[in-house]
Formats: sequence, C-alpha cells, structure tokens
Amino acid sequence: MNFLFYAGKRFLQVIPALFGISIAVFLLVHLIPGDPADIILGQTATPARSKVIHHLLGIDRPIFIQYFSFLNHLFHGSLGTSFFNNQSVSRLILGRLSATAFLMVGGILFSLFISVPLAILAASREGAARDQVVRVIPIIGLGMPQVWIGIELILLLGLKVNWFPVSGFGDTFPQHLRSTFLPALTIAIGLSPILIRSLRASMLEILEADFVLTAKAKGVGKLRVTLSHVVRNAIIASVTVLGVNIAYLVGSTVIVERVFAIPATGSLMIDAIARRDYPIVQGVTIFFAVVVVIVNLLADLIHAALDPRVAL
Amino acid sequence: MSFSKKSTRVVFFAATAIGALIATSLPAIADNPSPKGDLILVRNEDFASFNPDLAQNDSIFIQQQIYEPLFMINQDGKSVKPWLAKSATVAADKLTWTIKLRTDVKFSDGTPMTSADVKFSLDIATKGNGWGFLNTAIDAITAPSADTVTIKTKTPWAPLLSDLACFSNSILPNNYGGKTADVFFKAPVGTGPFALDHWTPGTEIKMLANKTYWQPGKPYLNSVTWKYVPDDNTRALMLQSGQADINEFPPATSVAQLKKTAGIIVNPFPAAASQYIAMNEKTPALADVHVRRALSYAFDRASVIKVVLAGIGTASNSILAPNVGFYDPKTPGLQYDLKKAAAELKMSKFSKGLKLDYLATAGSVQDNAMSSILQAALKKIGVKLTITTQDPTVKRATQKAEHYQLTSTVWTMDISDPDELLTFALNPVEGGTDAFYTHYNNKKVIAAVKAGQTTTSTAARQKQYSLAQKLVADEAMMIFAYNYSYIYAWRTNITGFQVTPTLSYHMEEVKKG
Repeated sequence: MNFLFYAGKRFLQVIPALFGISIAVFLLVHLIPGDPADIILGQTATPARSKVIHHLLGIDRPIFIQYFSFLNHLFHGSLGTSFFNNQSVSRLILGRLSATAFLMVGGILFSLFISVPLAILAASREGAARDQVVRVIPIIGLGMPQVWIGIELILLLGLKVNWFPVSGFGDTFPQHLRSTFLPALTIAIGLSPILIRSLRASMLEILEADFVLTAKAKGVGKLRVTLSHVVRNAIIASVTVLGVNIAYLVGSTVIVERVFAIPATGSLMIDAIARRDYPIVQGVTIFFAVVVVIVNLLADLIHAALDPRVAL
Repeated sequence: MSFSKKSTRVVFFAATAIGALIATSLPAIADNPSPKGDLILVRNEDFASFNPDLAQNDSIFIQQQIYEPLFMINQDGKSVKPWLAKSATVAADKLTWTIKLRTDVKFSDGTPMTSADVKFSLDIATKGNGWGFLNTAIDAITAPSADTVTIKTKTPWAPLLSDLACFSNSILPNNYGGKTADVFFKAPVGTGPFALDHWTPGTEIKMLANKTYWQPGKPYLNSVTWKYVPDDNTRALMLQSGQADINEFPPATSVAQLKKTAGIIVNPFPAAASQYIAMNEKTPALADVHVRRALSYAFDRASVIKVVLAGIGTASNSILAPNVGFYDPKTPGLQYDLKKAAAELKMSKFSKGLKLDYLATAGSVQDNAMSSILQAALKKIGVKLTITTQDPTVKRATQKAEHYQLTSTVWTMDISDPDELLTFALNPVEGGTDAFYTHYNNKKVIAAVKAGQTTTSTAARQKQYSLAQKLVADEAMMIFAYNYSYIYAWRTNITGFQVTPTLSYHMEEVKKG
C-alpha cells in the first residue's frame, strides 16, 4: 500500500513539472535572439519580406496568444509544423526515435558490459594494483572527447578493417545494429567512467555490511557473495545514477549523431536551434522532458520496489 | 551459285557501306545507354523544401534536378541559353517578349509541358514572398498558344532572361497538377532529369532517372541520393571508403590532404560569390570616406586567402566577382597597402586614432582569421579594433538592425546578371536593405544601376555597370575581401560532374563508371 501511495504521489508531482517545463521552454525559445525569417529567406531577406514571413508563421502575434495556440495544439496531440521544412514535428520526432533508441540502448548495454566487470575487479581488493588501474580508467575515459573517440573507431574498425559502416543508420534491423555498433560503443566509453566509479564505491560500502560478513562467515563462496549479495545491492544506487545519466544521454548523444551521421533526436534539436525552428525546439524539448520525467519516475519506483525503505 | 566480279564488287561496297553505317551508329548507341549507376552525394546542409519560392542553397541544387527553368545559365556564369524555351524575341517597344517553347518536354508523370504550365509557374513565382522580387518588372504573362508565352514588362528590362533562368522561375505543372501547393511540394513533379523517389527529412533524398526526360539518352545515372552528413571528417571518410561518390564543399584546409588520397579528385569550381566586410555608415567614423578607404587598404587579402582558403581564392577588386556578367577587371578596388592606409587616416577627421568594433560569427574559423588579421594591421596605424562574436542567426539580426560597426558578409549570385546584387547592395530603397545594411547612399551609383536595368544595349550596360563598380570601389562602400571557389571532391570513377559559378549542377551529364 505504501508503495502505491508513493507511486501515486510521484505521478501527481509530474503534472505541474511538465506544465512548468512547457512555459519555460516556450518563453526561452522565443527569448533567443535571431529571426527564423532570415533562415527561410537567406541572403535576400529584407525587413519587408521578413515581415510577410513572420505573419505567415504566426510569430507576429502576441507571445501569450502564441503560447495558448501551442497548448491548444498540444492538447489535440499535435506538436505543430516545422518552419524549416513544413513537416509535422510529431512525425519528425517519431521518425528519429528508433535511431535514438538504438543509440541509447546500445550505449547503456555496452557501458554495463564495460562497467560491471571492471567495478567488481576494482572492488574485490581495494587499493590493490588492479583497483588503482581501474580507478585511472574513468579519468582517461572522461578526458577523451567523443568526437575523437568516434573518429578513431571509424578509422580503425570502419575504414581499416571494414567491419562496420563509416556512417549512417541503414534501412533494416540488422543494418541498424551494425550501423549503431560504433556509435553505441563511443557513447559507452563516455558513460562507463561514471558508472564504474558509482558501482565501485557502492560495492566497497556493501562489502563492509554485516550481511556480507555473515555470508562470508557461513562459508558462502567468494563469487557467490560478490554476485548475489554485493553486486545485487550495489546496483540499486547505480540504477538512480544510470537513470540520471540516461536523461543526460538523451541530449548529449548529438556529438555521436553528428560524427556518425545518425539521424536521431539530438541532431534534430541542435539543427532546429540553429535555424530558430521554434515548433521543433518546443516539440523535442517537451518530448524529452516527458521521457526524462518518466525515466526518473520509473527509476524512483524501481528503487522503491528494490528498497522498501524509500517508500516510507 | 557464283557471283560475277561486278556483283562481288557491289556486294563488297554494300557490305562496306553497311559496316560503316553500323560503325558510325555505334558511338551514338554508346552515348545513349540506359541509365546506370547509383550516385551518392554527401553534403553538410539538410534539405528544406521543394518550393522554389523558398529555396536556399540547402535546397536549390536538389530542386534543379527535378524542376527546370525556361533558360539555363551557361558554364561561364555570365550568360544564359534557351532550355525549356526554344527562343525569345523582344518587340520594338522593348516591353513585350515572345517566348517559344520546346514541344518535346514532358513532366516526369508523362504530361506534356505547355504554355499553361509556364504561365501558372511564372505567375506564382512573381507573387512569391521569397524570390518574387526578381520578377518585379513583369507586368503580365499570357499564353496565346500551347507553345508560346508572352511576357509584358513595366519598363524595358534587360535582365529578364537572366531572371527567367533563376531556379525560382522553374516550370511546375499548371495548378500543381490539380493538387494543393502543400501536397504538391511533398511529392513534386517536374521536367528535370530526375524524379523524386523518397525524402527522409534530416537524412536523405533519393531521386530516380526521369524516363520521359526530353534530352535523349540522359540522364546517364539510374539514381542520385543526397545525404546529409554534417561532420566534415565523416564526409571525407565516406568518400574514401566508397560509401559516397561526391563530397560537397570539403573545407579548403583539407584540400591538400584530399589531393594525396588515392582514387579521389578534388576540384575548386570558380564561384560567382564574394566575401566582404560591411561598414555601417551610421557610425560617424565610418561615414567618413577616408576612414573606409583606410580600413580597405589595411585589409591584407593575400594573408587571409592563405589562412582561410588555403590559397584557393583571389583578392577582390570590385563589388562583383569575376564570374558575374559585366564584371570590370579594371575596377580600382583598394588593395593592401599600410602606408596608403595611414595616409588616408590622416586625411580623415579621425587622424588621432579611433576605436571600432568588428562583429564576427561565433565559431567561424574564417571570420576569426579575417578579424584578427585586420585587427593586427589596424593597430599599426592607430585604430583599435575590438572583436565581438555572436551566433550566426543573432549576428544576422544585429546586422539587419544596423547595430554593428564592421561585420563580415557574403553574397552568392543566383542569376547571371549583376542586377540582383547591385540593386540589393547599392539601391538603399528599391533593394530593401539600406544598401546591404551599410546606409551607403550615392545617387550617381543608384542612377547607373537603374540605367543598367533598362538599357538593352550590352555596351551601354557595361558602361553603366563599370561606372557603378568604380564609384563604390573609390568610396570603399565595403571592404571587398576575396572571391572564392566551390570545392568538391569525388571518386575517380565519376565523370562529367561540373558546377556553374551560380552553383547549378547538371547531374544529367554525370556518369558513374
């Protein structure tokens, strides 16, 4: 019952958060200096021609009318139409979701494959040489720019040995998998350092816990203690860390998208900001906000389910 | 059965004649093969629209494969030739133009092109909010017969055929083929060498050979795919790995490396485009012609070309680039000379030195180099130049509001005639931009530009345009920085790829071997 109450309370908190985000996004987008008409008309934009375009786009209306029009569309399930290419914003976002999903899921899986074994290795003997080596990895990983990692992976695995395509997303599921291998690995190399640190710290804390000492005293094998007791409990804290970082990932995969020419939501957003394509910026931000809020909500609920003390 | 000597000779000559006929016809057959080869072109700009009225560089080159205009810009960029039109004649009143159309042109859906399509297309282009200004001289368009169109202009209008050759005057089906404009521009039909296969926004556009194209045997390619790849390095690697055939606009600084890469051709095509530094005359110091001349003398064009363009460019001497019609090579545009710069500054009201601000584009290597080189030179003659940066769109808005002192600006010609640029940049009222947002106003220049529009004699037009070029160069209306080239890299199995100075791609001529 406690859990259901907690879940309901957390769910209700989401509604004002989303409403606040919609106002903030709308105002911020319109506060950015720069004129969409300049992008549409290019070098021949004159104040008179720009005025006509402003009227056609509806951005010559008072800001609050534009906001209510935006909300009205939103309640009718529409995120509007792009100023730049006259396409439906919802369709543009949906068209890029699969690429985003491949990048994120691939990136998370790769980062778990990298982080969990390394964290176990480091925590299994604190202060030993292997722990020192693993502790250096996050520093190196955080110091390498994703652009550089991406280009090096392309040069090595794309161009030299020709295992993966240099860029693009492909048309079929196997092609998507092959095309997103290198970008997902690039994301994972950027994400793993944070997970390694968090998981190692949690594991070291749990290794000192009474139930672990009891298990050891009862003669439970070292591997079983580590996997069944230490990692299982340490991962609870890492779920929250991962949840926060997934939110970060949604917006930060753009560099990887650019380097590998993957048409995902991050590059849609960046291009839209550069073009002052307000409907796309608003649409993508609202979409990301919903995703981030839901992911955080789910992370909290999973945390509460795993650790009943949270719901109290 | 036996043959006489005479009949043997007849058979021999007949066989030789037939053989010769077959032999001479072989190249013709070889020149008209079925379309083959799928070409992939990678570019750093995302396609925006199939509406010619709203086309910018992100969309123009792609639209040109689907739509075509009545006249086409020649490879020299300075003149036009009939394309969907057969001929054009102007009446003695110099106002009424009669244009005869080709009768063998079909849209890619098989519908023949007629004068009704041409009238509709030119009417909507004239009303257009984007490029409609090019057709302001047009008074009325009529279609007296299926293969004839007449255009009446408000005044004698010399640039008319150049205006008609602009992509904005492309020929579309009458009444959008019975569709709404929105529906039509999502799946357009044109007379061009290719027809749309699919468009995935933010990713690619694929087009297939138009089977009903009016030029026999063309296009040679089966398909062309335009892929949006924003990262310069990735485009270069795609070309190298064979995932792409043509790389549009690799950075000038990468040319030396690309030239060393096996299997890659790199070529700069001369552009009808110039880089300038605009000087806002609303700033008291910049209203002084001697200050403007001093700044123009102080700009070291050779160093900028070396640093920014890896040497692939020429110093500007005129507001017009050398590939624009009526460019005058004798225009006395001021060139780098610090002694003359110092002397000009002494003649100004600001001989004791002054402070100015240069508004640069944030993150632009080119603008960073231009402003820094100018800053270093000006320091030597007592002018303190500060550099501020803004995001490109914000900078554009600042320039339009004339809230700047010096700023970089560029112009790319869309037509072969200089009228478009000269009206825009030199006629503060009719150009609609307060003379490129510089507040420059010279009645003699405006008169020369207007005379160039209405004078039909080529020699007389040259005289007017040479005068305009000389006056603005003498008064250093802007710093004429440099003329650049459009750089492309392609794989060696690609032939026939040419780009005009106004950036037209004739993909119907391209072959993939």
